[in-house]
Amino acid sequence: MLETEELSKQFKGKIAVEGVNLHLERGESVGLLGPNGAGKSTTISMISSLIKPTSGDVLLDGKNVIKDPGKIRRVLGVVPQEIALYEELTAYENLKFFGRIYGLRGKALEKNIEEVFELVGLTDRQKDIVKTYSGGMKRRINIAAALLHEPEVLIMDEPTVGIDPQSRSHILEMVRELNLKKGMTVLYTSHYMEEVERLCDRVYIMDHGRIISSGTKDELKSILSSEETIMIDLDRPYPDLYNDLKQHDGILQTMETETGLKLIVPKGSRLLGELFQIADRHQAKVVNVHVQTPTLEDVFLHLTGRKLRD
Amino acid sequence: MISIFLLQWQRFRREPLLVLSFFGLTIFFVFFLAGSANTNQITVQTYLEDDVSQSSADEWLTVLNQSETFRFELTEEEDARSAVMNGEASLALQLRNDNYRILVTVDDQNYQLVNGYVQQVFQEELRLAEVESSLESVEIRDTIAQELEEPVLTVTSDTIAGDDNGFLYDARLHTLFGMTLFFSVYTMMFSLTNVAEEKRLGTWDRLIVSPLRKWEVYLGHLLYCFLIGFLQILTIFLFFEYVFQFNIGANFGAILLIIACYAFAIVSVGMLLIGLVRTTQQLQAVIPIVATAMAMIGGAFWPVEIVSNEIMIILSKAMPIFYGMEALKGVAYLDQGILEISEPLAIMFLFGVFSMGIGINLMERRAS
Ligand SMILES: Nc1ncnc2c1ncn2[C@@H]1O[C@H](COP(=O)(O)OP(=O)(O)OP(=O)(O)O)[C@@H](O)[C@H]1O
Ligand SMILES: [Mg+2]
Repeated sequence: MLETEELSKQFKGKIAVEGVNLHLERGESVGLLGPNGAGKSTTISMISSLIKPTSGDVLLDGKNVIKDPGKIRRVLGVVPQEIALYEELTAYENLKFFGRIYGLRGKALEKNIEEVFELVGLTDRQKDIVKTYSGGMKRRINIAAALLHEPEVLIMDEPTVGIDPQSRSHILEMVRELNLKKGMTVLYTSHYMEEVERLCDRVYIMDHGRIISSGTKDELKSILSSEETIMIDLDRPYPDLYNDLKQHDGILQTMETETGLKLIVPKGSRLLGELFQIADRHQAKVVNVHVQTPTLEDVFLHLTGRKLRD
Repeated sequence: MISIFLLQWQRFRREPLLVLSFFGLTIFFVFFLAGSANTNQITVQTYLEDDVSQSSADEWLTVLNQSETFRFELTEEEDARSAVMNGEASLALQLRNDNYRILVTVDDQNYQLVNGYVQQVFQEELRLAEVESSLESVEIRDTIAQELEEPVLTVTSDTIAGDDNGFLYDARLHTLFGMTLFFSVYTMMFSLTNVAEEKRLGTWDRLIVSPLRKWEVYLGHLLYCFLIGFLQILTIFLFFEYVFQFNIGANFGAILLIIACYAFAIVSVGMLLIGLVRTTQQLQAVIPIVATAMAMIGGAFWPVEIVSNEIMIILSKAMPIFYGMEALKGVAYLDQGILEISEPLAIMFLFGVFSMGIGINLMERRAS
């Protein structure tokens, strides 16, 4: 129902987004994944008619909506990346206002406000001034404000940044529910791989303003079907060992983790023995070794040679 | 549009301190500056010797009260005496037929001033009376008055205060108009920072991606700022008119129209500023500079007439506050009607239209 065609944006000649093609079917939950500065927010801003693309189109049900954004604005609910609320007002007053600007009035407005408060689990705090809320609660109201007019498509830009695991879990649960029970189409932006794995049917991976890969979770993982991941935990960092492994022909990708090293190697390669020998040579103490099937995080590493999060 | 407008009032209700402080500051400054202009007048309690008739006393008082410096008030002898005794007044004046006495406790500066003045008035009057009786002509006063009005030779002396020569100036009204217009600039422009604030906080983006049209968002904000400025000026005028007996002129419709045009011009200049600066902090720094400079150059603090520098005079014509002051003074001093002040009104309006156009344009260009 919603798609973009060769969407591009330059800021003063600097390319932020280039040739992005996305499509969302009704009722789908789609993830847009990418590291900082990949162009996720810029893409979303163009879809939601906040900024005009340098070139390319946004289509809603096959109709171009860039010239006449009125149509898409009613259909979309947009959750901005930063908390955008009137902090000196109560949560209730905020929601009432955001409902009103979508044309809701009277009983319908009250009913929706009540429902949305229930959904985000803040019914008993609704008369409190937003300033007094915790970060996680503000995030939930930030989402609630985009749900009042019961949008057909919900676009969320990293809605869980900087909050506690509990609030985060609540939010993910809530979005899943909206998608499954209410059939809301969801475009979910994140640089947390596990959120997207949990929430989305299909994923676009973005880097440096371009879509570098896309597909269902399984399709993406099958990119790595011929590969496996070896996690090596060490008692401390060994830079020489890391450099040595990086130059090893049999290893596709090497990177440092918090506890040691992560290697991507061709499936079935019998490297473990050799690895221990190399570690010995550097007098490195191996605490733990674990071989696993790839995650989306590994897909990203494979595609870009970089970690998703810095 | 209404939603945006109402929202601003809601936010104002939660954090009214800034606006209310400008309101309070205006009243404070007008009260003390204009109040002190008032106390320059020396009040002299005046009582009569028993054989002085009420009508001749009234005549004397009328003549004496022609001075701006003194105010002679008729009281009972007892009251006047006890006032002097108790130190409430430093002196009192007793009127006699063709003569006077001054009751003093100390020989202070006021005594010198009052005595000098009263003496001069009595001597002049007595001399006139003498001439009158010797010529046996009652018209002599009129003739002299006529001669004075059409003198053979005019000597004009310009002084800084220029109270009686040069231009019209009423210290109290000038303070009221100047201070009120000056502080209302703060109220309106600081209220406008809501727009810049919304852009910083991101709520602006929420409004833009909603079905609201952009002009509705702007109009809601502008209407709020306009109205809060309008109401502030109006309330302060009414307050001083009715509580402190300031005489701001009989033409209330004209006053309302002036306030409206002025508030529109200032809100527009505010939009221009938002269009020119990059951040809310810059805006908050620029507002006091603009407000003060505009008030100084535009003649809100002191009359433009006392400025002799050509450049400053030309600059004053570029300040909307100048036209606000001109129009208000026209109505208050000269009883001018809407037609006579249509020029300053039109200039303020056009000023507003241009600043608004440029301001919104700049802002939109930055956004894209
Ligand atoms: N208004 C702007 N003016 C100039 N450059 C911009 C502007 N907005 C974004 N950019 C640039 O465009 C690129 C993409 O930014 P964008 O915010 O879309 O990334 P993102 O994927 O959302 O990153 P993050 O995960 O940090 O939110 C960045 O290099 C950024 O510096
Ligand atoms: Mg972003």
